[in-house]
Amino acid sequence: MSLLSVSHLSLTIQDHSILHGVSLSVDEGEIVGLIGPNGSGKTTLFNVLSGFLKPTSGSVHYRGQDITNVSPSKRAKLGIGRVFQNFGIFREMTLEENVLVALEALPKQDRKNLGNLKDVVHGTLDMVGLLSHAKKKAGSLSGGQMRLLEIARTLKSGKTFFLLDEPTAGVSPKMTEQVADLIRQLKIEGKTVVIIEHDLPFISRICDRVIVMDVGRVVLTGKPQEVKKSKELQELYFGAELV
Amino acid sequence: MQFFWHIVAMICMSIPNILGFNLIFGKGKIFHFGPIGVSTVATYGVFVPLMHGFSYPSAIAIGFVLTMIISLLFAWLALRLEPDAFGVMAIAIHLSLLAVVINWISLTRGTRGLPDIPRFFFLQTTQSFALFTFIIALLWILFLFVLHRGSFGRSLDALAEQLWYAGSLGIDRRWVTVIAFLIGGLGALITNVIYCQYVFLVHPSDLNFPVFIFFVMVVVAGKPGSVPGVLCSLILLTLLREGMRFLPIPSEFIGSLRLLLFGLILFVAVWVRRDTLFPKARSV
Ligand SMILES: Nc1ncnc2c1ncn2[C@@H]1O[C@H](COP(=O)(O)OP(=O)(O)O)[C@@H](O)[C@H]1O
Ligand SMILES: [Mg+2]
Repeated sequence: MSLLSVSHLSLTIQDHSILHGVSLSVDEGEIVGLIGPNGSGKTTLFNVLSGFLKPTSGSVHYRGQDITNVSPSKRAKLGIGRVFQNFGIFREMTLEENVLVALEALPKQDRKNLGNLKDVVHGTLDMVGLLSHAKKKAGSLSGGQMRLLEIARTLKSGKTFFLLDEPTAGVSPKMTEQVADLIRQLKIEGKTVVIIEHDLPFISRICDRVIVMDVGRVVLTGKPQEVKKSKELQELYFGAELV
Repeated sequence: MQFFWHIVAMICMSIPNILGFNLIFGKGKIFHFGPIGVSTVATYGVFVPLMHGFSYPSAIAIGFVLTMIISLLFAWLALRLEPDAFGVMAIAIHLSLLAVVINWISLTRGTRGLPDIPRFFFLQTTQSFALFTFIIALLWILFLFVLHRGSFGRSLDALAEQLWYAGSLGIDRRWVTVIAFLIGGLGALITNVIYCQYVFLVHPSDLNFPVFIFFVMVVVAGKPGSVPGVLCSLILLTLLREGMRFLPIPSEFIGSLRLLLFGLILFVAVWVRRDTLFPKARSV
């Protein structure tokens, strides 16, 4: 049975149809790339999966449970983590507080199992080399640092299913590799990941499977190598050089 | 000397209400424009029963229940409505409540107010008021300080900065909002129970719109969400308000001059903080 299964998901906002019958499934431990041109509905699909937007029709099942009408905070407590395209970091808070606020939002038992929260906070910051910035406001970080912090925070707060929205957007080329390493780390730890990315070489390096969306529909799914060679993708991204 | 104790009492007795409002509006960035509506319910909720023969403890208990109910109503609306719609709605509720207490004359005596409010036995002098309210204020400041610094304060900060980011971490907006409003209600109750004894009177003019302007001014000028900042501005602005009586101006102009001055201060404070006061929602 798949970890996440989405069936016939449609979303219309103010007479504007954004998703049309999206169906897909993700297995436990898989790393899936979600690609498609700008405006094809990838972020919107994530927003439905996170519970911020209610679909007009269709359903979302997670670990066999129907979560279509479950609130975002309850989904987070089920282990669904989200990394936002515009950095889901609280810029007015310090780095320390950014991690702490996530740990404190965990269900009581999970929080107890973590032990001393201060230690977990330090461990998290240390993991991405930001311990020396612990007391600084997160708004002072570079894009790459924010991204690393956000992914590490999601990991350390016990999430098992990751929705990463363009994790390399706004990240310097030098740090992109660090972000890729952190995502590989997620795989090693047995997490399940769906990544929205425009960087196709990046996707083919780290993903087991690729799903292609266009104008609110899933148009193609397959192994990175197969998808890269497909005519549909060439047409979607015509002119783009595929490495 | 008497004036000094008066000022101390006036400042200290406003602290629970102001800091409660600061928690919701300053720190939580929730457009709660109805704190004086909550005060109205707290004031009449306690003193109408008291004037109709209930003892102080039972009158306060009744007032407490009513204040919690109106606070829950505000919290529910804050969760259901868009921020700006909630702001307008909160003002409307405040004004409606005021209209009710002014016009339900058989119960509230309308604009004549409820006179001869009895004082607690230990609150007979201005000095005893100053001392008692000082202790209450200290305890309340301590309570809110811990709250601001702790996990509740962080959750509120997170929600204030970006609702979706906070939601994706598992922060339950409903709980945090409800608790913030209940604490605000409790602060309103404490302040008004003491204030009405101090002036021996319940009067609707102590609950009208300019009082709300004063609240917003104190919080905005002090730095929204900051306990020390709001305390400082409360002290300074209360001194200004109370000190204006000593100006060589005919007393009938004092009220309008005060309002004019406060309007000006509010204008400047909002202007200075225009970027941080109403943060733009970031897209995800
Ligand atoms: N809240 C909204 N209201 C109206 N239209 C929206 C909303 N959110 C997204 N859209 C529209 O939905 C389409 C898909 O957007 P999005 O999911 O952000 O695409 P992608 O992430 O694939 O680039 C776009 O045309 C966008 O303008
Ligand atoms: Mg997007």
